Amino acid sequence: MANTDGMALVDKYYSDYGSRARELKASGSKVLGYLTALGPVEIITAAGAVPLRLKGNVSEPITRADAHMETIACPFIRNVFDSTLKGHFNYLDGMVMPHQCDSTDKTANVWAYNLELPYWHFLNVPHLTDDPSVDFFTSVLGLFKGSLEKFMGREITDEDLARAVEAHNENRRVMRELYSLRRFVPPLISGVEMMKVLVAAMSLPVDESTNLIKGVIKDVQGRAANSETTSGPRVMIIGDQIDDTAVAEIIEGAGARLVMDHISLGSKMYWPDVDATADPLVGIAERYLRKVKVPTTFVASGDTYEENLEARFGHIREFITEFKVDAAILFVYKYCDPYGFEVPAVKGFIESTGVPVLYLEDEYSTSTLGRVKTRIEAFLEMIG
Amino acid sequence: MADEKKPRALATMAAAKIPKMTRANLAATVRAKQEGKKVAYAFIVCAVDEIMRAMDIVPAWGESFSGICAAKRDAEKYLQRAEAENFSRSLCTYATCNLGFDMWREELNGEMPPDVPWGGVGRPDMVLGSGQQLCDPRYKWPQATQHYLRDVPVFVGGMYYPPWDPTLDYKEQEAFYVKYNTEELHACVRFCEKVTGKKMDWDRLAEIVDLTDRTINLFIETYELRKTLPCPMDTGDAMNTMVPISFMLGTQECYDFYRELNDELRQKIAEKEGVVEDEKYRLLWGAGLPSWFALGDFQYFNSKGAVFPVETTYRCTEALDRLDLPKTNDPLEHIAWRWVRYWTHWYDKAKQRPGSMPEVERLIEYIEDYKCDGVVFHSAFSCRSWHAGIMLQAEVLKRVYRDIPVLIMEGDIVDISSYNEADTHNRIDAFIEVLEAGKNRA
Ligand code: SF4
Ligand code: SF4
Repeated sequence: MANTDGMALVDKYYSDYGSRARELKASGSKVLGYLTALGPVEIITAAGAVPLRLKGNVSEPITRADAHMETIACPFIRNVFDSTLKGHFNYLDGMVMPHQCDSTDKTANVWAYNLELPYWHFLNVPHLTDDPSVDFFTSVLGLFKGSLEKFMGREITDEDLARAVEAHNENRRVMRELYSLRRFVPPLISGVEMMKVLVAAMSLPVDESTNLIKGVIKDVQGRAANSETTSGPRVMIIGDQIDDTAVAEIIEGAGARLVMDHISLGSKMYWPDVDATADPLVGIAERYLRKVKVPTTFVASGDTYEENLEARFGHIREFITEFKVDAAILFVYKYCDPYGFEVPAVKGFIESTGVPVLYLEDEYSTSTLGRVKTRIEAFLEMIG
Repeated sequence: MADEKKPRALATMAAAKIPKMTRANLAATVRAKQEGKKVAYAFIVCAVDEIMRAMDIVPAWGESFSGICAAKRDAEKYLQRAEAENFSRSLCTYATCNLGFDMWREELNGEMPPDVPWGGVGRPDMVLGSGQQLCDPRYKWPQATQHYLRDVPVFVGGMYYPPWDPTLDYKEQEAFYVKYNTEELHACVRFCEKVTGKKMDWDRLAEIVDLTDRTINLFIETYELRKTLPCPMDTGDAMNTMVPISFMLGTQECYDFYRELNDELRQKIAEKEGVVEDEKYRLLWGAGLPSWFALGDFQYFNSKGAVFPVETTYRCTEALDRLDLPKTNDPLEHIAWRWVRYWTHWYDKAKQRPGSMPEVERLIEYIEDYKCDGVVFHSAFSCRSWHAGIMLQAEVLKRVYRDIPVLIMEGDIVDISSYNEADTHNRIDAFIEVLEAGKNRA
């Protein structure tokens, strides 16, 4: 599939990650880095700052982080920290660290003390979804808003927030539209390309991100007419922040199609919208706690365990049907308790839909990819 | 065959009673059904101890059982079962050890697996987890347990505290944190009422909360007797004497234990009896759960003339007059304040020393109060909760305080596979040399 204009821009932002934020910084904007799908982008946008989701570099060995951060922390977190220490994001004005898991919470001070950024905020996201938790998280978001106002030297009004909510909802809607083109057999956009789009999109201010995706949709739609008819097995990948094309390349290099994801920079982020609420922070709190499906939120609903599984993973079955998924790869980072503890549950749930699952525990590094490749190829061969 | 290790020799008579108490705690979970009591899987530092006690719920402590398996070097068979179910070896081994045990007991239709350490754990009627900053397994472990005990209801409540941020006023946040925690504790009570079919007796709860307050004060007063030179009890014993405060809070037995320990330590102090005969170095156990299978390492320190008069581990509480708790008629709100202020009460000090942080202020306070010459940390690979951030604490301590000797040991709590006694002893020897050199310089 040839690159066209939208994809060319995606390639540029993918291969020089953060370049647009760096440019905007040079022209006077403030850039705020954040981690994970729980980064409250709506508030950062409403404050007039450029939100930049941080990523590491899977091809780069960790050289500086180990002197400051224990190797028992999540390899993804260590790699991003290493990148940041090395100055790859030296244009950041500050960072927001959401409390996603122990590896974010317990290393938060390590980041704050070593990076000494002008702005730092630890966002204490609770793990629960009940009403008191939403109230509590609304207060936590209010605190963040207040501290950001102080840093930015401007008030963030409800109108600012409502506008930002709308812009991010639009961004998500457009991304879902692009996802829908993956439903075709074969999909109109490859898994490798899609991975690049997802990465590029999270490096841009929201409106630019939306335009970028629209450009890709335009390019990709044109492919429908001359699309081939045969296709290998359709694979879905599940995990947290997988932000490199390496695994997608292995899957597609083995003749399969990566047609859907449930990763934290993909469908986990783009499916749930923020509802417009009288106090916009309430809608934002509800989205992050109740709609974003990450294993760090404890979902209590369901009278039986089976109902509980449905509440936690039912959407995955919908993805399987909608995107005609034949096989799933569950890709979990070492030392990740939140994902690790639900491997048997999510694996069992998906298998109960008739879809085989390959579970891989790995590093955030290409150094171990040889092993991953062997396992993925064997799995794909097995499902034929 | 499990490789059982000779337990560490204990300095106090009180600590020697702990195995019996721990056994009794486990036995209570197995006996509960016959006595018509409900059993809850519970986890330490979740703040629901008093609720359970007031409702006659028998706690089955996950950490306790795994610790016992580890101390007996008999955890591997459970870890392997968990691993076979795709629970990674890098996950919290307290949890995976229990999960392996649970799977096995379910396979046997509720019968205890063969050769289970100390009679095993009774099947729970509920699981009481908690969502909080301390650790992910506190809510993921209950959820994973439910995968194998599908009929057992799970409650996870939120218990948070304002995170450390020198640019913010934590006092402004306390109210909404306490409100939230209180609401969650009330939700926990409602859940327990539903499972037990009994109503909470609020007067009884108030009495238990009062007993807990008195126990906490007594516990701190007792532990502070260890400031004495020579030190009458060290961390090796404290890894035993933590059992009542961690697993029996809210019971008279717990209070009585520290009363006895207090008397015993006073006696030792009067007789100038120390843990080691010739006390040369006083060390702070700065952070980290111990390697339960290698508690003998404390004795190795002792053999070099080193004692640990103080540790941060299992001291998740503070004398109440230092917390300045607001008055309230709601015992649950009191628990919430006690919880929040325990975590935040080093914040003011940390603010006053530029570049410092609360954990480090705590270390400095202990170093000074207990006259410590060095700090030892243990970094257990399967638990991020207590063990990620240790390097920073050591770094900041040296930066804002002084260049005090620090040893960071690496190992695990339950998984023995990464442990090498000879290496560990070599590292301790090298550290002792550093301490000695420091003394000579002084
Ligand atoms: S992969 Fe797991 S441990 Fe790492 S940041 Fe995500 S949730 Fe946390
Ligand atoms: S604190 Fe550490 S050892 Fe304890 S349950 Fe949590 S992760 Fe496991």
